[in-house]
Amino acid sequence: MKEQDEKLSYLLDDYADENASGNVDEVIGDVNLQYRMRRYRMIGEIMRHELPPAIDTGFHEAVMARIAREVGAVQDRKPRAMLDSSTPAPLLSRGIFKPIAGLAVAASVAIVTVALWQPQSQDARQPDAGLAEADQIKIQQLAGQRIAGSAVPVSTGVPTRGTRWKIDRGSPELQQKLNAYLVNHTEYSNSVQGLIPQARVAGFDAQQ
Amino acid sequence: MRNNSAAGRADLLPRVVIPLLLASCVSAPALADEAMQWVQKMSDAMRGLSYSGNFVYMHDNQLESMQISHYRDADGEKERLLSLNGEAREVFRDNQNLTCIWPSSRKVVVDLSRKNSFSPIFIPDDIARLEKFYDMKLLGMDRVANHNTVVVHIEPRDTYRYGIKFWINRDNHLMMKSSLLDEQYREIEQVMFTSLRVYGDDEKPLIETLPKIDESYTMVRYHRGDSSKSVEVDNAWQLSHTPGGFWRESVLRRMIQGTENFVQQMVYTDGLASLSVFIERETSDSLSGATSMGAVNAYMRIHANHSITAIGEVPAITVKEVAESITYRQQ
Repeated sequence: MKEQDEKLSYLLDDYADENASGNVDEVIGDVNLQYRMRRYRMIGEIMRHELPPAIDTGFHEAVMARIAREVGAVQDRKPRAMLDSSTPAPLLSRGIFKPIAGLAVAASVAIVTVALWQPQSQDARQPDAGLAEADQIKIQQLAGQRIAGSAVPVSTGVPTRGTRWKIDRGSPELQQKLNAYLVNHTEYSNSVQGLIPQARVAGFDAQQ
Repeated sequence: MRNNSAAGRADLLPRVVIPLLLASCVSAPALADEAMQWVQKMSDAMRGLSYSGNFVYMHDNQLESMQISHYRDADGEKERLLSLNGEAREVFRDNQNLTCIWPSSRKVVVDLSRKNSFSPIFIPDDIARLEKFYDMKLLGMDRVANHNTVVVHIEPRDTYRYGIKFWINRDNHLMMKSSLLDEQYREIEQVMFTSLRVYGDDEKPLIETLPKIDESYTMVRYHRGDSSKSVEVDNAWQLSHTPGGFWRESVLRRMIQGTENFVQQMVYTDGLASLSVFIERETSDSLSGATSMGAVNAYMRIHANHSITAIGEVPAITVKEVAESITYRQQ
C-alpha cells in the first residue's frame, strides 16, 4: 500500500521516470487506485488554493461519475483498432494520467457540468453528433448564458492561467525564448492544424 | 401532401443519401484521396474566405474562448485573434507583421509574418508521400455550431507524429472543429467554432486596428516587417539522420534583436506535422532537457558551444531525436 502511495505521489508530482507507464497501467486497472489518486489530486489542489470557492464537492463526485459513464460509452463506440492496447505508451506521463485523475477540479467541473443535462439520444448515423452539441452548450455555460433547466451552482470565476511551459528551473527569459521560438515556428512552418497554432500563441501566459 | 413528400425527400439527402454515398466509396485509396481533397479544400477556404466567429480552444485541462476575424482581398490576408477569457490577449497578422499584444501587462511582440503564406499546403506529389506516414479516413457526418460537417481522420502510422481529426463545413469548407490526438487516441488539444459568419465578396468583417501602443508597453521583440535582415545560413548544421522521415523544408538565419548573435531556424516536416530547430550561441541561460506546453514539445541540448532547441506540435520522442541528430560538420 505504501509503495502504491509513493507511485501515486510521483505521478501527481510529475516526477515520473521511465517506469511511469507501468505505474500508470496499474492505476488504470485499479478503480480504488483511481479514486485515491483523484482524492490526492484534489487535496493537492486545495493545499495550493487552486479550488474555486463555489465548488460543491458532492456535486463534483456526481460529475466525475457521469464522466466515467460517458467515457465508457465513448470507448464502446470506438472501432476495435482504436482500442488496441498494443499501442506503445507515450514517454511522458502527461498524456496518460490526466484523463484519469482528471479534468482538474477548478476548470473542468465548470466545463463538464452541463453534460449532466444533455439529452441521451444520439443519431447513430452521425458519429459524435451528441458530443458536439454537448460541447456547444458547455461553451454557452462558460460564456455565462443561462440554459433552461440548468440550475447548477458553478462558479463563473473559472481561473484562466494562460499557457505556460513546464520548466522546473527555467527563468522567465527562457519562457520568453521558447515562446518566441514557437511564434516563429508557427509562422514559418506549414502545419495543417486549423486554428490550433494561432490559438496557442494567443493563449500565452501574460506573466511570462 | 406533395410538399410533405418533397420535404421528406429533401430531408433524405443529408441524412441518408450523402452518408450512403460516402460509405459506398469503394476502395481505401479512393477514401484517402477524398479525405485529402476535403483537407485541401479546408486549407484553401481558411485562407481564401472572409469570416468571423467565436471558437473555443481546449488544452491542458484549460478552456479558452477566442474570437477570430479573417479578411482577404486583393492586397492579401488580415487576421485578428482575441482571447475572450482573462486578459484580452490579441494576435494580429497581416502580410508583413505578426503582432501579439497583452494589454493589461502592456507587452507587445512584433515579428515578421510568414512569406508565401497563401500558397497551397498540399501539392499532388505530397499525397503519396503523406500516405507513408498517415492513414486518411472519412469518418462520416456531424453537426457543429449548427453547420453540417464532414469528419476527416488523419491517423499516424507510427509514434513520431500526432493524429488529427477535422470537422469540415460541407458548404464552405471552413474548419469547424479540430482535435489533436496523442498516441493513445486521446484529445490533447481541440479547437471548435461556436459561432461563425462568412462574408460575401462585397462585405468584410470588422478588423479593428491595433490598440494604441505607447511607451508604457514593453516591446519584447521587434522587426520592421521585411526579411532584408536575414543573413546567409550556416550550412554546417546538419541532421545526421532524419527521425520519422521528416525532411528539411526551409532554413533561415537572423540576428537576435539587440545583440550581435544569430539564431538559425531549420523547419522540418513530414508534409503535415512540422517542427523547427533553433540554433544559437550558448548562454548562461541555456539548458538541456525536455519541456512541453499542451501538444507542443521542445527538447534543448548544448552542442559545439551552441544551444539547440527542437520544438513543434509533435510527440516528445520526435523533438528529442531530431535535436540529438543535429551535428556541426565543418566544410
